[in-house]
Amino acid sequence: MLDWLQFVLAPQVVNGLSIGVAVVLMALGLTIIFGLLDVINMAHGEFYAIGAYAALALIGVGLPFWWALALTPLLMAVVGYAAERALIQRVFHSKDRHTLTLLLTFGIGIILEDLLKIAFGANPLRIEPPITGATEMFGLFFPNYRLFLMASGAAVIAAVWVVAFRTRLGAMVRAAAFDRNMAASLGVPVSTVYAGTFAFGVALAGLSGVLLAPIYSVFPTMGRDFVLIAFSVVIIGGMGSIKGAVIAGLLLTQAQSISSLVISPVWSDPLLFGIMVLVLMWRPHGLFGRLGHG
Amino acid sequence: MIRYHLNAIAAVLALTPLVASAQTGPIRVGVVTPLSGTYAGIGQQVKWGLDLAAAQINAAGGVMGRKLELVYEDEEANPAVATQKAEKLLQVGKVDFLTGTVNSGSTLAVGQVAERNNRLIATTVSFADSITADKCSPNVFRVNARAGMQSAALADWMASTQKNANVFYLGPDYEMGRSTVAAFKTAAEGKGAKTVGEVFAPLDNKDYSPYFGQIRGARPTVIYTSVAGNDTVRLFTQMAEFGLNRNVQVVGASGTVTSQNLAAIGKAADGFVTGVGYSPSIDSAENRKFVADFEAVNKSKPDLYGADSYGVLFFYKAAVEKAGSTDTDKVREAMRGLQWATPQGMKTMRAGDHQAMQDMYAVKVVGGQFQIVGKVSAGAAIGPDACTRF
Repeated sequence: MLDWLQFVLAPQVVNGLSIGVAVVLMALGLTIIFGLLDVINMAHGEFYAIGAYAALALIGVGLPFWWALALTPLLMAVVGYAAERALIQRVFHSKDRHTLTLLLTFGIGIILEDLLKIAFGANPLRIEPPITGATEMFGLFFPNYRLFLMASGAAVIAAVWVVAFRTRLGAMVRAAAFDRNMAASLGVPVSTVYAGTFAFGVALAGLSGVLLAPIYSVFPTMGRDFVLIAFSVVIIGGMGSIKGAVIAGLLLTQAQSISSLVISPVWSDPLLFGIMVLVLMWRPHGLFGRLGHG
Repeated sequence: MIRYHLNAIAAVLALTPLVASAQTGPIRVGVVTPLSGTYAGIGQQVKWGLDLAAAQINAAGGVMGRKLELVYEDEEANPAVATQKAEKLLQVGKVDFLTGTVNSGSTLAVGQVAERNNRLIATTVSFADSITADKCSPNVFRVNARAGMQSAALADWMASTQKNANVFYLGPDYEMGRSTVAAFKTAAEGKGAKTVGEVFAPLDNKDYSPYFGQIRGARPTVIYTSVAGNDTVRLFTQMAEFGLNRNVQVVGASGTVTSQNLAAIGKAADGFVTGVGYSPSIDSAENRKFVADFEAVNKSKPDLYGADSYGVLFFYKAAVEKAGSTDTDKVREAMRGLQWATPQGMKTMRAGDHQAMQDMYAVKVVGGQFQIVGKVSAGAAIGPDACTRF
């Protein structure tokens, strides 16, 4: 029994944790954009793919992986800022905001995916992991790159939390999310905060793209695999809640990981959507409240 | 309108002598093979093998004095595309014979097209047992080794190295994966091995780590897998990263590790064993000459697909010369029971199910090279004839 805990359950839990960190990174960008702008960004998966391709291109011109990791989020922030200013702002103030932004980002996603297909081809490409080898602890054998992914992902999540809840910038964002008009009358540059937050969410998607590329390969439809899980995490955690995304993301991936010991892993996705339905029946607004509220 | 019809009939009549005179022109062989997509690497070997064989046959005077002409169509490893391309080759291209299909589904589908058009097809790649068993067709032949034969050689080797092995199965979740796992399970259990678990992953799966929990929990001494192409690259790399292949013997299907993906897998492929009908290291004069010729033209070693595709044209040549004609019924009769020479030695086409019989080998990857570690004779590997249609 003890033997089973150590050699079967423990590695599965640790591996689930590394997948969980990846999912939380994706979900954070989604939930922040929804929490502040009230926009469901359907193109999030494609921004994630563009992040991975941007890193691939930067590595292709000779930069080391670490430079690509640092530059890609900056590049993606510019892309996100431009997309918010040029496209989303146009439909943001109309009455059908929810429908229009949903359709708009959905369309952007389809166009971006096809552009990637034209530019890079449909076949999967590889980014070599910058850290190779494995570490052995307590009889567990775990790849170093996945350990790095967990550590860096945890650092990013902590940084997002500090910025959102412990800085003046975060306070401005939360204020704008709670009451846009009041925040504006107190001198918060609301439209800049909106564009900046959207850019930040897109940068997070791009960052996850780079971090996950060495494990999952790079291909035009790569966003689809993760974005569905990320959406479920955001819905279960509470639309717009940072805490909810982190907790729901880690719990759900653990449920998938541990259930995979008994059922075929292909069935762990239906399991996840089943949990989502149950949570929505019990708490229609998800587990936690929205950003800036409560 | 009537005049138009008469014109059409006149045109058809005018063409008839042309078709008759085709008996003296080149013999056209249609090749429906994946030149793009997931299986493009396999299609490449098929094309290299066929091109080399056609060049050699034509240089030596052709088939009954007629040249062989190859007509290629890309089937994208998609059965729906394959049937369209086969129909086009038969109706418009007027080919005498078809070959080249890779995906087992494509072979079954094109086999039906050939049957409707009263022509013959031979596959040189497809593994699924059903093609020459319960779904056999009088118009379909297979010159390569099927899943059951590969399993016989591999199970034999496994039993000789490990008594009562505990085997875990990991296959791709489609016809080929299910068929290879079932075939090896039967063969291995027949030799005393125990099954400790099985799981199927979707084709083109990216992360196998969630599957490793069940493998760890089952504590196998042998892991059998039949994933192929780039899936093997990811699976083997990840198994090595997670230390899953330590103290475990990894074995698999013929297509799992080949010359085509061996370089990309690198060291993680070392120690892998498979049952296969061909290896470039078969030590015979014919094979050494074939490997040298193949490498000289293509700058790459042949794998099982290249060798069997090379062999199929010699099979067709021998049958046409025995029949003295390219007529479908006469050639089919000549193919049944035919013996012909290939790089891996003499093969015999079994008349009862159109499955070629050949010696099978257990092959191990050592230092990035394939080494033969076991051999099973043709008669012991072939298994019973399960075709009831003819």
